[in-house]
Amino acid sequence: MNQQTQDQQNIQSMEQAQPLWKMILTQFSEHKMAVAGVVIILFFILMALFADLISYASGLHPHRQNVSGRYLLPFTYSEVGSSEKETAVENWINQNTEVAAQLQAEIVGKNLLSVSEEDALYELALMPKEEGQEILKQIETVPSSFNQMLSDFKKFHPFGTDEVGRDVFIRLIYGARVSIGVGILSTVVAALIGLLIGSLAGFYGGWIDSLLMRLTDALLSLPLIPVMIVIAAVDLQKVPVLADFVGSGYESIIKMVLIICLFSWMTVARLVRGSILSLKEREFILAARTLGCQDHTIIFRHLFPNVVGPMLVSLTLGVGSSIIFEAALSFLGLGIMPPMASWGNMLTNAQEVIYKNVWLTILPGLMILLTVVSFNFMGDGLQSAVDPKSIKR
Amino acid sequence: MRTFCLLSLIAVLLNSPQVLANAKNQELKIGISQEFENLNPMIMTMSATSYIYAMVGRTLTTLDADLKWIPQLAKEIPSLEKGTAVIKDIKGTKKIVVYWDIIESAKWGDGVPVTCKDFAFSRKVALSPNVSIGSKEVYTKVEKIEWDPKTPKKCTFTYDKARWDFYDMGRFFPLPQHLEEPIFNKFSNKKEGYEKNSLYVKSPTTAGLYNGPYKISEVKLGDHISLSPNTHWSGTPPKIQKVIVKLIPNTGTLEANLRSGQIDMIGTLGMLAMDQALNLEKKVKSENLNFNVVFTPSITYEHIDLNLDNPILKDKAVRQALVYAINREELVNALFEGKQPVAEHLIFPKDPWYTNDPKLIKIYRYSRREAQRLLDEAGWVPGSDGIRVKNGKRLTLTLMTTAGNKSRELVQVYLQEQWKQAGIEINIKNEPARVYFSETTKKRKFQGMAMYAWVSSPENNPKVNLSSKNIPTEKNGFSGQNYPGWSNKTVDMACENLDTEFSSQKRRELAIQILKAYTEEVPVIPLYYRSDVSVVPPGLKNYRPTGHQYSETNEIEKWTF
Amino acid sequence: MATYILRRLIQTLGVVILLSYVCFYLMTLMPGDPVELMISSNPKITSEDVARLRSLYGLDQPAYKRYLNWVSQISSGDLGHSRTYRVPVSELLGPRLWNTFYLSMLALTFSILVALPIGVYTALNPGSRMDSIVSMLTFFGISMPSFLLALILIIIFAVQLNWLPAGGTETIGADNTGLAGILDRAKYLILPVLSLSLQSIGSFVRYARGSMLDVLRQDYVRTAKAKGLSYHVVIWKHAFRNALIPIITIIALSLSSVFSGALLTETVFAYQGVGKLVYDSIMGNDFNVAMVSFIISVSMVLLMNLIADILYGFVDPRISYQ
Repeated sequence: MNQQTQDQQNIQSMEQAQPLWKMILTQFSEHKMAVAGVVIILFFILMALFADLISYASGLHPHRQNVSGRYLLPFTYSEVGSSEKETAVENWINQNTEVAAQLQAEIVGKNLLSVSEEDALYELALMPKEEGQEILKQIETVPSSFNQMLSDFKKFHPFGTDEVGRDVFIRLIYGARVSIGVGILSTVVAALIGLLIGSLAGFYGGWIDSLLMRLTDALLSLPLIPVMIVIAAVDLQKVPVLADFVGSGYESIIKMVLIICLFSWMTVARLVRGSILSLKEREFILAARTLGCQDHTIIFRHLFPNVVGPMLVSLTLGVGSSIIFEAALSFLGLGIMPPMASWGNMLTNAQEVIYKNVWLTILPGLMILLTVVSFNFMGDGLQSAVDPKSIKR
Repeated sequence: MRTFCLLSLIAVLLNSPQVLANAKNQELKIGISQEFENLNPMIMTMSATSYIYAMVGRTLTTLDADLKWIPQLAKEIPSLEKGTAVIKDIKGTKKIVVYWDIIESAKWGDGVPVTCKDFAFSRKVALSPNVSIGSKEVYTKVEKIEWDPKTPKKCTFTYDKARWDFYDMGRFFPLPQHLEEPIFNKFSNKKEGYEKNSLYVKSPTTAGLYNGPYKISEVKLGDHISLSPNTHWSGTPPKIQKVIVKLIPNTGTLEANLRSGQIDMIGTLGMLAMDQALNLEKKVKSENLNFNVVFTPSITYEHIDLNLDNPILKDKAVRQALVYAINREELVNALFEGKQPVAEHLIFPKDPWYTNDPKLIKIYRYSRREAQRLLDEAGWVPGSDGIRVKNGKRLTLTLMTTAGNKSRELVQVYLQEQWKQAGIEINIKNEPARVYFSETTKKRKFQGMAMYAWVSSPENNPKVNLSSKNIPTEKNGFSGQNYPGWSNKTVDMACENLDTEFSSQKRRELAIQILKAYTEEVPVIPLYYRSDVSVVPPGLKNYRPTGHQYSETNEIEKWTF
Repeated sequence: MATYILRRLIQTLGVVILLSYVCFYLMTLMPGDPVELMISSNPKITSEDVARLRSLYGLDQPAYKRYLNWVSQISSGDLGHSRTYRVPVSELLGPRLWNTFYLSMLALTFSILVALPIGVYTALNPGSRMDSIVSMLTFFGISMPSFLLALILIIIFAVQLNWLPAGGTETIGADNTGLAGILDRAKYLILPVLSLSLQSIGSFVRYARGSMLDVLRQDYVRTAKAKGLSYHVVIWKHAFRNALIPIITIIALSLSSVFSGALLTETVFAYQGVGKLVYDSIMGNDFNVAMVSFIISVSMVLLMNLIADILYGFVDPRISYQ
């Protein structure tokens, strides 16, 4: 861009006196990679949010397995297993008792299948599709719901299937939920803890500062693994508040978030403390103090807004490293528990069969890579956008 | 730094790539993924150590690949019929006295003959309160070892009671008395004094410590062990001139090492996951790789313990329904391509005690309808979402196992789905093996079901796992492995009687009594027998994996290209 | 200066001692003691065996007593015995510490040598094509799970091309000495070093670029330029020297994880390092090994922080220590 025109634009924009957020936004949108990152992240988040809808629309289910179709290649079809078919038929019969009885009677009556009436529909569902269609053709009215059920037995797998025949595509989508969810949740919680501790230490100084900072140092130097094992051994069901979540199978996610939080709030705390140490000597704080503001007002009203910038940056970077951390924990067998999918445990599960089924490794690896790169670019963009020195005025 | 890297890169390029398994019996590199420890046989606890020790040290008897007891250092296995074992009444108790003859030419690596003294010495060490040997029973079951100084190789062993399994001496390791006794005498009054100062620790390459076909030429704990032929070995001379056992903890890397020729074979302790092994086998076929993937059904019994204190699992009907609802045949076929056989109960098919006669024991064939009938009768009716409910309580159980074990996790999700079809909701909770085995199972802290495996041996009295005396409690220091908490009088009785029953026919009858109760009451859901996987170069002959704790390395001297 | 260092050293020692108790306590909190682990692997152990082993290992004593025993043992120069491997800890730990040291130091040196020039270059040419390519690549490096990268490297260089060994520390039984020995070690180090440094190269480039950009905007750089000083003097003497401070911090931070940070890499490459040993010792409740490793790792962190602080003084004369 021509220097002169840019200067003119800057002058113009200054004359319009933009609010801060707008300035940041303009600044941010100039960073193309950052914008691309945001788009990708938004896409992934939307994907994660609408996972159930996608599952419903595509007829794929993240936990539904099919042992007759393990390690299928991408873009292949699979036929669901017999036990699943039996359940489907049973459910259908229970829901449409009368129609089912009619249909069964008709099949056996016309001697299309030589089994008892009770077994007729099961038999029909279990036989190869073509033969089944042959038989159904000879029946006057086949209920549409029955046909629908039969056609559900064949599934298309855009990304193939994994070691128990689960669809990789839908697992990646649900994996996004867990991985990005854990990433964001743990980073936000860690940031809040760090913000609180950092600002207390920075604002009050003295023995509070020493105490809190030694605590951070100690935690920073503490080896990770034993603490992780201790946490893995804690029975969360005994913690009253968490008990409700635990029963619903989210226990390993909560533990994961706890572990990541425990080991990542220290950087934020240090960052915040550093900023606040210099901020509290500034004139506007002195002004606030002389006006008789109470401590909490000063901290929450005046100090926090000023540390949000650097915090945002470390937040976005933190999400990326949390996602990688989750993958590393999965590698050590301390990650998200099956059958729940996370990109980390999908990647770990696939590494042993990497020679034969490369795509099982590549796909989750790519997702992690894409997400973390996007978050990093976003952080990069934010950094230059909120940095007062780089704002072009 | 950069030049250094460049230099080394050039050096690498100049070095020719490693040559594959050589046909001249010069060297064999075995990859394993399990850790091994110091090779003192008295205190070793890891299975990889036993695997390696069998290459360098032998005992009186061992179990071969056909599950038969065979003599090693002994000339033959004594028997009551031949009069080499006698039941005597000593001070009011019936005891068995056995005459063991050690092979004339059996020697330690420094040429000193193996004699009764070595056995008596190792028993003395084991009994010392300052030696941290895990289980003393192996040694304490022999009360006395006597010999005539003129015939130091003819020993008389007096056992503590009349045991029919007196020939099970595979874990009674002789120690080289001429080397270790001075050390023991000097340090035995200190806690752990002997094992810390033993030559096995201080100088593990001392040839006199080993009486097997090989001796140790180099040890790097946590990395590798190198072996060379023992010149004083009197049996079949070993064919392969150098054996290296290399530890590669990550099974993915283990496979990469095999493919790049860094190791020649993966031993049974490579512990490849079944899926990895099956994939490797396919690759071997499709790419004509120069390996054989060997699957050996083993005595490792995979099963799910049911906690009988759980209110849901207290009901026998529910337990039976759990077994009926899972299609184990389909499971092993689909997940393991039939390489791991379905287990009916805890006894291995090759064991003389085995039966699958439906007249003698209850056999479960997959039948979801039967499962549903049992659950219906027990009052569990399907709820709105398909999960069964009784008195407002959902039929939910927790299934636990070791985190990171691929095969188990695979089975776990498979079973979860099948039980769901029958209206049983399963929550999966896995823990690191560390927590799982030392806390959750051992202290019976699992709420519902716990999946794991154990290894036994043929004609093994299952009392540790089944007798109600062995339910782990605070009182007994959590020893015993009756984790389900099963208590059955017939089984308790049968377990007691098995120890002293000399008629093999009657022992079988007792065992079948146990199996009948076991399959009827279902304290445990049997799943399958694991297969040991090893990958060997096709030229390797006489390689016979055993599938039990006395590993194939007991015959390593016969291996040849 | 000397008194400052002495004071800091004494403080550090205090923290190490305090943390050693915390670590000890954490280990006792973990489920299962060594005897319980033995029981789970050997069904034949009876309750008498359990009681005997407990008293033999001193596990029947309260935690603080065991800690004191351990301290007195350590202060007499005896590092104790590994319960897993059944050999003295010093014998086990010594060579592995060196191995990890080589690996981490090489990786660190390599990443600094690669990252600093790139970082400075991109900071001098922000927005250039090179800058975007580099930032793309660095983010790629940061975002790659290290075990996946290691596996990919093995597949390419060991399995497919057969240029480098797939894992291990040195050729077994080769007994090379001198140059041949070094080259042999180097062959086994290339892949682990590469996989370990990629991530740190990524973050070092980010930091170097960031702090250099920051410094270049400062007034004194503008002043120096205005004085008509040569480009090189301005960049290297004024700007780079000042940009070093945050870089030193981040390097010190990565130095502190020299002994614990290579766990995954060491596991995948079956490299004889201390990271894997520490993990196993914790998993296997091998108190003596784990505690010694704790102490080393904790002291490393604290020492490196101290060294970073002292280095600040050299880089920036305004910072002084009284």
